[in-house]
Amino acid sequence: MTSDVKLLDICNVAVGIKRRKRETLVIVREANFDVNYGEMVGIVGESGSGKTMICRAIIGTLERRGASVIGGEVLFEGLDLRTINEAKWKTLRGKVIGYVPQSALAGPNPVLTIEKQLAEALSQVEGTGSMKNRSKELLDLVKIRRVDTVMKQYPYQLSGGMRQRVMIACALASKPKLLIADEPTTGLDVTVQSQIMELLREIRRDLGTAIILISHDLALVDEVCDKIVVMHAGATVEVGPTASMAKPRHPYTVALNSSRIDVAKPGGELLIIKGNPPSVGQWNPGCRFAERCDYVQQDCLVGDHPALSGKKSEHQSACLHSDKIGKI
Amino acid sequence: MSKKVRAEGTFGIIIGAAMMLALLLAGLLIPWFGKYGANEISADQLMSPSRDHFFGTDMLGRDVFARVFDAVFVDIGTAFTGVLIPLAVGTIIGTLLGISRNRRVNSFIGSLIDGINAFPFLIFVIALVAFLGAGLGSIILALSLVNWARYARIARTRAVVVNQQGYVEAARTLGYKPSRILFRHIIPNVSSETRAYALSDFIIVIIAVAALSFLGLGVNPPQAEWGAMIKDGANIITLAWWAAVFPGLAICWAGISVAVFSEGLTKRIGEGNQQ
Amino acid sequence: MSKRDILIEVENVSVTFGSGSSAVEAVKKCSLTVNAGEPIGIVGESGSGKSTLARVMAGLQPPSAGAIRFRGDNIFKGNKSFQSGNRNQVQMVFQDPYGSLNPQLTGLSAVAEAVRIHTKVGKDEAEQKALELLERMGIGKLDALKQPRQLSGGQRQRVSVARALSANPTVLLADEPTSAIDQSAQAQLLKLFLGLLNDGLSIVLVSHDLGVIRYLTKRVYVMKDGVFVESGDTETVFNDPQEEYTKMLLASIPGELGKAARAKLKR
Repeated sequence: MTSDVKLLDICNVAVGIKRRKRETLVIVREANFDVNYGEMVGIVGESGSGKTMICRAIIGTLERRGASVIGGEVLFEGLDLRTINEAKWKTLRGKVIGYVPQSALAGPNPVLTIEKQLAEALSQVEGTGSMKNRSKELLDLVKIRRVDTVMKQYPYQLSGGMRQRVMIACALASKPKLLIADEPTTGLDVTVQSQIMELLREIRRDLGTAIILISHDLALVDEVCDKIVVMHAGATVEVGPTASMAKPRHPYTVALNSSRIDVAKPGGELLIIKGNPPSVGQWNPGCRFAERCDYVQQDCLVGDHPALSGKKSEHQSACLHSDKIGKI
Repeated sequence: MSKKVRAEGTFGIIIGAAMMLALLLAGLLIPWFGKYGANEISADQLMSPSRDHFFGTDMLGRDVFARVFDAVFVDIGTAFTGVLIPLAVGTIIGTLLGISRNRRVNSFIGSLIDGINAFPFLIFVIALVAFLGAGLGSIILALSLVNWARYARIARTRAVVVNQQGYVEAARTLGYKPSRILFRHIIPNVSSETRAYALSDFIIVIIAVAALSFLGLGVNPPQAEWGAMIKDGANIITLAWWAAVFPGLAICWAGISVAVFSEGLTKRIGEGNQQ
Repeated sequence: MSKRDILIEVENVSVTFGSGSSAVEAVKKCSLTVNAGEPIGIVGESGSGKSTLARVMAGLQPPSAGAIRFRGDNIFKGNKSFQSGNRNQVQMVFQDPYGSLNPQLTGLSAVAEAVRIHTKVGKDEAEQKALELLERMGIGKLDALKQPRQLSGGQRQRVSVARALSANPTVLLADEPTSAIDQSAQAQLLKLFLGLLNDGLSIVLVSHDLGVIRYLTKRVYVMKDGVFVESGDTETVFNDPQEEYTKMLLASIPGELGKAARAKLKR
């Protein structure tokens, strides 16, 4: 039984920044993927691929950076987020859609104790019981022990992993339907990383929250997500169920796969992707991966960037020659 | 490559620089080529602005226009020196303090810096000048003695951070001589902050120099100087507003030009830092 | 079996920070050897003391106890290191790519400066050599002329490596070089290191990621709370870990390696 309305449907979304003199810097050209209720979706891409911008579009924080959705539809439970006003955003952001920022960048407010931090998040939501108890419940949810001690501490007294857990707790205060985790473990030790991933899996299982996990690490996403979205130079180049993605159909995914340390032979051949990801806005005609592609053909260099083949929810690829992959 | 877009802040930088350059140029040319000398006393006292005397004349019949521009290098020059010396001295001392591990020296000089900074700037300077005796030299000396501590504090904080950066450690690992590390790697990255402070300090010092002269602690008459001119003009403001107003406008012009320039520069650097 | 050239010897080194009741012993009586041609890895979580140990080996941090020698000579005399002119021989690449380059210098200037100081050639020749070195690191001329803030994390790391190599070192210490960069940039950097290994450079890789250690090193030391809890051949430690802690580290590696380790744990 499939539900007609998806939790989140990103259709041909483009995001740009308006510069002076009517110039628009296009950061995301074509993002395409969807998220079903309770699904864990991983978005993988290098810096400049547009993966963070897309998430800002979903959570509505583009305006602050002078950016806006300039094309396509961002449908949340059927509602086009392009059309809503700030008042409506306030009912969604932090309530139905939660956000956990990158571990290295933001973090809990340094001048508030954890207790105050959680109280702030909880004050936006209705609930039963005292603020203190509700806060403790949240800390339990993210598997923080010694709850009483932690409540009274300041962020600087906690480790990176603990701080991330607190951020996740704040995001979960409203029991959101969708949680966006933007590189939640970058910069943290692998041991902490695996704990946080386990935590996200449990949250998904126990609360039914759909999770979007943004990462540059394909190995990580491969392990925990139901569906993988691969972004390159502002466009979705491949998307599909994780199992199916084990046989990638786009040269970029193939290259990412081949550069994974976990599948490389020690001291052996490690395929790297030629060149560097194109800088934002500096895109050549044709397929934007063409100059780094091992399978490039003549028709890849001209015309528009190839569109995603197939239907949503299947394994789609934006390569004109996906049939040739693996046969070279 | 997309069409070259003019970087943000360029407008401010150009306008600010142009304003200051115009002022300096006028200060150079008008005393040479102007109709009247700055100290030319005449019988035409307190004449209102006219085609002959653009800014009118003062109590001694001197051409205000000539005097205002004669004062340019005096005021701006003093202010400039009064910023440059503390900038240089403060940056170096602050940096050395920030990277030093000698706890006693650190604590002694650190307390000295904090002590000096605790005093309200202008009052301290006024007291020092009064003590040293009036004159531009005293003003510069007093400014240097007081202001270096403000730069040193900024430099010290920044130096501590810079010292821990990877590139400084790398320089040590690569065996660079300590002098090279200090002058090529640490100080340039520390002075970026102190130089930014210097720009805003410049505005304050321009006004301070004029203020000190207003209080009679600056130049000796008959040298033209904006603060002194305002003081003389203040007594006759109802009779001859031009004697005080034009030097006042000159101070504003100088201050605004630096402010606009500094704003433009901040915007420019800010854009560069955006990732 | 030929006698290996011993490059660095760490003998019962301890490092204590602070004093009295607030003293923290970051490294507790650790010993290891770096042999020529044998890349080694030091793996541990944050706070294990591995970075401190690496800095001791690089001569940046004097040990509170124990000895550390390069080719038989003590590296430290008092608090000063490498006084006998061996400073070039041991170089280091640091974790944070964003702080490892002087923001005011282009990649080319930074590397050329290092070349000039170590080879005493003229300015033009130094720039030429620097460009060649950067090219070997995959940084083209255009990128070499950019300021650090215009470069990606991976590119900055490669410029740092080029700079370190200007000194023509025998040993390169790399402290978590891949932790702050993208997966694809990580692969590029590791491939670069592999090439350097094949050229004869000895590398000491410090990381929290055993996957990276496994790819590059032949021997590994597992560090926890300042102590080596396990050490040995990388492959052996991987396939047959003895300590619980090592098993936990293995199980945390993202992807296939971690899966395999976790499967073994369950058995």
